[in-house]
Amino acid sequence: MEDNQRRVNFQRLSSEDSAISDDSCEYYQTDIYEHLPSTLSRDWNSIQSLKMLPLCMQEKRNIRERLHQQKLKIGHWESWRRSQRIAWRRMVEQLKGFFSRLLPWKHTLHKIEGRFGVGVKAYFVFLRYLLGLNLLNCVIIALSVLLPSLYIKKGGPHCNLTSKDNGSVLDVFLGSGFLERSPVFYSFYKLKNIDKQCLNTSLLFFAGMVLILLLSFLMIVRRTVVGYKHTWMTGNHFSMNMSYKVFCGWDFCIQDPQAAFLKHSFIKNELKMDLEEQRFRLRVSQRTLKQKVVLFFLRLILNISVLALLGGSFALIYYATIKSQNKLDNVHWTLKLLWEYLPPITITVVNFVLPQMFCVIVTFEDYSLTTQLNLTLVRSIFLKLASLGIYLFFLITYLTTSIQNPETEFGKEMYKLTIFHLLACFCNAFLVSFPRAWIVDKYPSSMLAKKIGKPEFVIPLNILDLVYSQTVTWVGVFYCPLLPAISIVKLLVIFYMKMFTVIRCCAPAQRMFRTTSSSVLFNFMLLLGLIMSAVTLGVNINMFVPGTCGPFMGDSSVFNVTSECVQTLPRPVRNGISYITSEAFAFALILAEVIILTSLVSRGGANRKTIERLKDMLVMCSSDKRFLVKQHATLIRRQRRIAPSTE
Amino acid sequence: MGNKQTIFTDEQLDAYQDCTFFTRKEILRLHGRFHELAPHLVPMDYTDDPDVKIPLALIVNMPELKENPFRNRIVESFSEDGLGNLSFNDFVDMFSVLSEMAPRELKAIYAFKIYDFNVDNYLCKEDLEKTLNKLTKEELTPEEVNLVCEKAIEEADLDGDSKLSFADFENMISRAPDFLRYRMFFACF
Repeated sequence: MEDNQRRVNFQRLSSEDSAISDDSCEYYQTDIYEHLPSTLSRDWNSIQSLKMLPLCMQEKRNIRERLHQQKLKIGHWESWRRSQRIAWRRMVEQLKGFFSRLLPWKHTLHKIEGRFGVGVKAYFVFLRYLLGLNLLNCVIIALSVLLPSLYIKKGGPHCNLTSKDNGSVLDVFLGSGFLERSPVFYSFYKLKNIDKQCLNTSLLFFAGMVLILLLSFLMIVRRTVVGYKHTWMTGNHFSMNMSYKVFCGWDFCIQDPQAAFLKHSFIKNELKMDLEEQRFRLRVSQRTLKQKVVLFFLRLILNISVLALLGGSFALIYYATIKSQNKLDNVHWTLKLLWEYLPPITITVVNFVLPQMFCVIVTFEDYSLTTQLNLTLVRSIFLKLASLGIYLFFLITYLTTSIQNPETEFGKEMYKLTIFHLLACFCNAFLVSFPRAWIVDKYPSSMLAKKIGKPEFVIPLNILDLVYSQTVTWVGVFYCPLLPAISIVKLLVIFYMKMFTVIRCCAPAQRMFRTTSSSVLFNFMLLLGLIMSAVTLGVNINMFVPGTCGPFMGDSSVFNVTSECVQTLPRPVRNGISYITSEAFAFALILAEVIILTSLVSRGGANRKTIERLKDMLVMCSSDKRFLVKQHATLIRRQRRIAPSTE
Repeated sequence: MGNKQTIFTDEQLDAYQDCTFFTRKEILRLHGRFHELAPHLVPMDYTDDPDVKIPLALIVNMPELKENPFRNRIVESFSEDGLGNLSFNDFVDMFSVLSEMAPRELKAIYAFKIYDFNVDNYLCKEDLEKTLNKLTKEELTPEEVNLVCEKAIEEADLDGDSKLSFADFENMISRAPDFLRYRMFFACF
């Protein structure tokens, strides 16, 4: 078979107008392929690689016969090692299959992907990831906070709460009454000594919370970095890559005619939008100086108006926070509920109205479509996180100065935020999206239907919503330890509500959602939320005057409890800890990090230069090849002309 | 239960298992699907390797391939005669490459063959135009098609001959983000 190949290749090269070369798929069968460095590093002598040969079945069978005969010649050691490797590989594949089957909703998500595209599936995958994160947090809290407190009955200082014994449904929404004294809030937990001086419930409480934040941080950083590697390290922006869209645009899994029609229109719209952006860039490069100046001032004014809107909404949140802290007592329960929920209502209304206004403003700024979407997204992210940050800032400054039990009040506010977020999602799904879809379906030709249109599932804003809810959970977990459990229930309900919205109410999106670069962005936002909650926790621990209830009240503040524990440890451990927390160690650590970072950055720069040089070499090799083929053809022609003339 | 199947010999099934990404059960199921396509042509007994080929028109009506704009090219590139008539060996080969378990490198080789409409081992501009028309169901204007093809070749062509060889194609595919890479071929069987 090898001789046959060689003869064929030679024939091809010798034809006069031949431009067909060997670097096609047939190069896998030429002799030089076996000497390429990338092939040598692979293990070609195993049956596993037989499946990877791009040959037809009969040829594969022949190779298999040959390999079988080879096997008899190898010693026992080599064949044992081979069988071990095959067994190991099969076991790893089985484990992977087992774990992927454990993931819930696989089939549902697959169906959603087929009908609505990869972007919508990415949203639900993100939701599932957050569910897993909250489940992990719940397990940690159950082990380190709940179980010790519930198991140890005796001990603990006395705690008198100022709440009355009402026990009504209102308490579930306000977090007062029986809920305040339950394990849901901070005031339930007391300092109880278990065994030695070091092992008490308060220290376990603190350790559990720190572990939650640390673990979440590690998981999210890993997720962000994995996505980052794919987007920017390749040095190519796939959002503009036409060749990729043409060759990898079609999803070979589609079997439904409706889904196929959708995919065709996706691809067509994508390509049309890319061509539109090319035309836009051409227009931009042809702008005169006068137009540029006018545009600059217009953009300045619009940015100032955006800042004014943001400032106005922050002022609104401030007033709502301050007003709602003055509790009303002798009013109707609906008014009381509304008054207590004033801050969450304000935040939600602001986060609903302002992005729409941003969308309108950005159309006047004359950017390309992608830039418009990105700018609106960045502004919405800033709005969402900053409004939460401003609310926390004003809340903490108010609570440190006025209240008796600031910790429990803070926990209650976070609890209220979570509950209201669930209510808002519910209202959005059933009172806004469903009626809109119903009107468009029942009376498609009416004026109202034409004006409103079917709701569209805007993926970035929905993911931003999830990030916000997770940030609230992290901020509140120290003062409301069962918040992750409540969050799990909330996320489950949101999953099914959003699925209902997407399947029943939404019109299919016109534009394909770029999941890679956006996934990095959303993981980064999650990281920002985590950092914000860690900072808030630090500020809270330092600034709150300890109340009358909770694991860290009176003398036993967080600081005291930890330092007491450290004192009781053996001497070498104490010395070690004091060294690690000293300035000398921090300085050495920073120096080591700087050195590692410098070496990595310089290696990255050298790799980039090598890539450029290799690209140049490829072009030169190809032109060399063409030159040689032409020379060869000329030579053959000359020989043929000489040969008949000598006869 | 021990129902001995009589379609293939054990040796044949072992060979199939080693040469493709399927298990014995899946190969028997595949044979069932193959038989369903043309019950009067395909024998139930394959122990003597009969030379039976099913024409293109019957294969492209399978539910896995029906909505695929490249279904004709897919079947043609796996057939031995290049016209789309598949024997059972070719049939198993095709689904093995299209299955989830086949690696990216193998799929890239066959993807190149599928997009190469004039079978000259290069993706020239005409190949790209045909691909694009199949993708968008000919809803783009000719100038738009021209622009997209030119830009695509410009982006992926590394050796400067204004057509894409397999090395160019593989390089372009290999830089795709992971999950989108596998989106390309995921015919669920």
